[in-house]
Amino acid sequence: MLKRMFLLVAASCLGLAAPAAAEDKPVLDVYTYDGFAAEWGPGPLLRAGFEKTCACTVKFTTAEDAISTLRKVQLEGPATRADVVLGLDTATAPEARATGLFVPHAVPVNGLVMAWDDPDFVPFDYGYFAFVYDTTKLPNPPKSFEDLIAMPDSFRIVIEDPRSSTPGLGLVNWIAAAYGDRAAEIWTGLKPHIVSMPRGWSEAYGLFLKGEADMVLSYTTSPAYHAVAENNPNYAYAEFTEGFFPQIEVAGILASTDQLDLARAFLTYLMSPEAQAIIPTTNWMYPVRDIGPALPAAFGSPPTKIIALDDEADFAAKAKARVDAALAAVQ
Amino acid sequence: MLRLPPFNNSTIPPHPRRQIAGAGLALIVTLGLVGALLAILAAGGVGTAPHGGAILALVGLTTLQAGLSTLVSIAVGMALAWALNRLRFFGRGVVIALLSAAIVTPGIVVAFGLISVWGRAGFIADALTALTGTRPDFSIFGLGGIIFAHTILDGAFAARVLLARLDALPPARLKLGQSLGLRAVERFLVLDWPALRGALPGLAAVIFLLAFTSFPIVLMLGGGPANQTIEVAIYAAVRLDFDLGRAVLLALVQIGFCALIVSVSALLRPASLPTAPSQPSRWRDSRPARLGAVLVLLGLGFALLSPLVAVLVEGIPALPVLLTRPTLAPALLASLAIASLSSLLAVALGLIAALARASATRPLVRLLLGAPLLGYLAVPAMVLALGAFLLVRNAGLDPERAAPFVLILANALLVLPFALATLGPPLDMLAQSRGRLLRSLRLSGTVQFFAVELPLIRADLALVLALGFCFSLGDLGIIALFGTDQFATLPLMMMRALGAYRSADAAALAALMLLISGTVFTVLPRLIAKVPDARA
Amino acid sequence: MLELDQVAFRYPGSARDYRLTLSAAPGEITAISGPSGSGKSTLFDLIAGFLTPRSGTITLNGQTLVPLTPEARPISILLQAEPLFEHLSVAANLALALPRIARAEQQRRLAAALAEVGLAKYQSRSASTLSGGEKQRAALARTLLLDRPVLLLDEPFSALDDTTRHAMRQLVADLTRRKGWITILISHHADDVRAIARHHYRLENGQLVAATTPD
Repeated sequence: MLKRMFLLVAASCLGLAAPAAAEDKPVLDVYTYDGFAAEWGPGPLLRAGFEKTCACTVKFTTAEDAISTLRKVQLEGPATRADVVLGLDTATAPEARATGLFVPHAVPVNGLVMAWDDPDFVPFDYGYFAFVYDTTKLPNPPKSFEDLIAMPDSFRIVIEDPRSSTPGLGLVNWIAAAYGDRAAEIWTGLKPHIVSMPRGWSEAYGLFLKGEADMVLSYTTSPAYHAVAENNPNYAYAEFTEGFFPQIEVAGILASTDQLDLARAFLTYLMSPEAQAIIPTTNWMYPVRDIGPALPAAFGSPPTKIIALDDEADFAAKAKARVDAALAAVQ
Repeated sequence: MLRLPPFNNSTIPPHPRRQIAGAGLALIVTLGLVGALLAILAAGGVGTAPHGGAILALVGLTTLQAGLSTLVSIAVGMALAWALNRLRFFGRGVVIALLSAAIVTPGIVVAFGLISVWGRAGFIADALTALTGTRPDFSIFGLGGIIFAHTILDGAFAARVLLARLDALPPARLKLGQSLGLRAVERFLVLDWPALRGALPGLAAVIFLLAFTSFPIVLMLGGGPANQTIEVAIYAAVRLDFDLGRAVLLALVQIGFCALIVSVSALLRPASLPTAPSQPSRWRDSRPARLGAVLVLLGLGFALLSPLVAVLVEGIPALPVLLTRPTLAPALLASLAIASLSSLLAVALGLIAALARASATRPLVRLLLGAPLLGYLAVPAMVLALGAFLLVRNAGLDPERAAPFVLILANALLVLPFALATLGPPLDMLAQSRGRLLRSLRLSGTVQFFAVELPLIRADLALVLALGFCFSLGDLGIIALFGTDQFATLPLMMMRALGAYRSADAAALAALMLLISGTVFTVLPRLIAKVPDARA
Repeated sequence: MLELDQVAFRYPGSARDYRLTLSAAPGEITAISGPSGSGKSTLFDLIAGFLTPRSGTITLNGQTLVPLTPEARPISILLQAEPLFEHLSVAANLALALPRIARAEQQRRLAAALAEVGLAKYQSRSASTLSGGEKQRAALARTLLLDRPVLLLDEPFSALDDTTRHAMRQLVADLTRRKGWITILISHHADDVRAIARHHYRLENGQLVAATTPD
């Protein structure tokens, strides 16, 4: 009996490894981060939506997070199977561009909520890094980084490690963009409030939900999840007077693609009203197109005071030094 | 009739074929590691050398953390093993199974469990608040928290391994000790300590490596960048800077340092001990000693098990919803399949290694046979993931299809050090305490194994099998780069749930994994004990 | 005849030089005595093959034993320190002496050997539950099954009470005579030596000194 069960289990395991049924349809290989493609993410719905129109098969290949997809493409080089890389953001796109592995998308981009003239990447959603809190426990949240620093030491925040997490890196960039040379001073001020700097967003958010911190570094869209999916309106993000630092998630086409037309069609589809209506409640980010009532009211309107960068490429190139300086300041 | 030199007249039975098999295994593992590092170097070229002082500081910090974690884990493990050996009570089996399950629980689950109990808004703080009216001000974050979490993982494992050694004390010795009227302390020194001593070096080496390479726990409970590990520097080198050369360099620093530690421990020969069946015998202790054992059991049992119980309490209510998810069944099936195969592989490899080492007489040979297998634990997870990915690609395989097999192999290799630490001491002791008899009986390797060694280590084999199964069940593995959206295991599903705000699902998955582990540790040893021994 | 002729041995770093000469005949018990530390175990290991002499010869019926591994020497051993595998049953312990024969035949011979040493009903008992004397007798049954020309006994009676000791001594003496074994008994008990040994040597300062043969 046991033996038979074991054989059954073993066989099913091998089945997982067996090649997928051969199909004549062209395959569009999309590299993206695990959370995008897997259960709960927008991937399955987007794939179904695009496959209805393209007479093709969309195949997601995942890595742990967005930057890892870029690393994977870099490791594979021109031999990569990937046609599209999806999920890079404003912080990593300049580096991706510099690898020379991407081609201009040549897709018309118009009608979006933001002005967009990047020749290599198209945006598909965006959000802002923000500190999220529970309004029932924290009626008067800090209104700026300086406010936060002035809170008593018992006021605790949890932020992600900038070396291993996208929001963690986002905070480093946010503070640098807002305070320039004073960034180190802000970090030193934050130090007593930082209860933990875990590896990723999941751990940080988990700590926050367990009550270990008064605020967690997340996104302005996080409260929408609780309001829509859990019917819990008690979460909010702290409005910081310095303004917010955006994270725009983008997709690009690899120069080595053998499905250029399909890739372009996919990018166009990503920005279409249909795809944009899927993204908010699956990826929990703002759509890049006005989708009207399809956007749940809980998302509210995105913050208006945004920190703009003079030279994005230059800013991105100095990320490493900023991370080191921030870590040194809280050491 | 003449034998050519070198003429082996050691009192330890030499089995050349065992040593060749063991050497082959050690060589393959070493080559695999070297190959992985070379593949990374080939892909990324020579990197920028890391700042020496900073690395030294990191190594120092990590060593302090790992050293303290090891000391506390071993001390706690010995105390718990002692208490459990002396006491008989209802639910003892469950406690032992839960202890075993601790080490295989994903670190992040343990960390969350720890916070549920000891956190600012945890059970203890809530209870104290209710009692005193004010919220207590203590923090689980910092070095203490890291060591606490590592002790839950590794101290419980140590307790399980050491308990097996104590339970194996020959009844005749106990009778003699009892008739001499040994007091509790004397009994420990005279009877228990010699039995425990043999297992300590291997155990300490494994725990040190686990603590040294621990990454998510250190970052999560460290309370900021003051507590760091060299692993996070490697992570940053790959992820943030894409400086593969530096990642390899840092990995070499870590591997070299760990190799030093392992070498020292491997050179310590286990003390010999008469072997006996694992039937715990009773010992009549004085009343204060019994009271002490009860207190130790209650105190440490609570400290180690309450976070795990918290995981169950939080997760079980969400289980019904989880069970309705269509993605659960494939993930569960894949996890079970991978766990079954990799645990069998781990047992086979562990036997090869332990048998080879037990037949080696020179300390250096013992070291060379054992250390490379522990080396796998010393390799940073990120480097392993990268190396495996590149090796698979360089071999012309599709990483996505290879993922389950890589996972099986990687998990088996991960369990190998535990297998060696568990199976090694009894086999060593047999070879040393009955070496003359074994040789004089002219037993072939096969007969010696099936007729003498297998009956001795059956319980240990069951433990390794359970350990391997549960480890693989809970391990996220090294397939981060392999592309796994078509393929899920339970821990992968849990991380996905956590990453998508689904904390209830994540809690349910954590509880499910813990339940499966606990069940396996309870059932498997009994199952194996029931298999009739054809030769008895 | 088992003969040691000018067998020289010295442990690295030790000052004591062993120079051992001995001759033992079939069907007879040759006893070696000496206080603890006099080198009785060294003599045992030299004969059994666990130590290699620097010079001198060890021969059995004229054939040299020195180049043979312990496995290759036609010697069965009975050690006080390691008589049985304690985690095995008595039967499983004895079966190790008869690895490659049919099970039924194995059972038959095993039962006969156990009966011979007075442990007829002990087959399925775990070795760890046996008393010291029972263990020694079970181990003797094993040497009976091995039936090798030389039997090397190391303190086989030390842990036994007087009655058991007497019976066990008699058993060894009987078997030696009946089987024609060359039995070497290493013991520090003068009593044992007097009772059954045909020849008696004392180990003194690394030398074997012939002592008076008991009558």
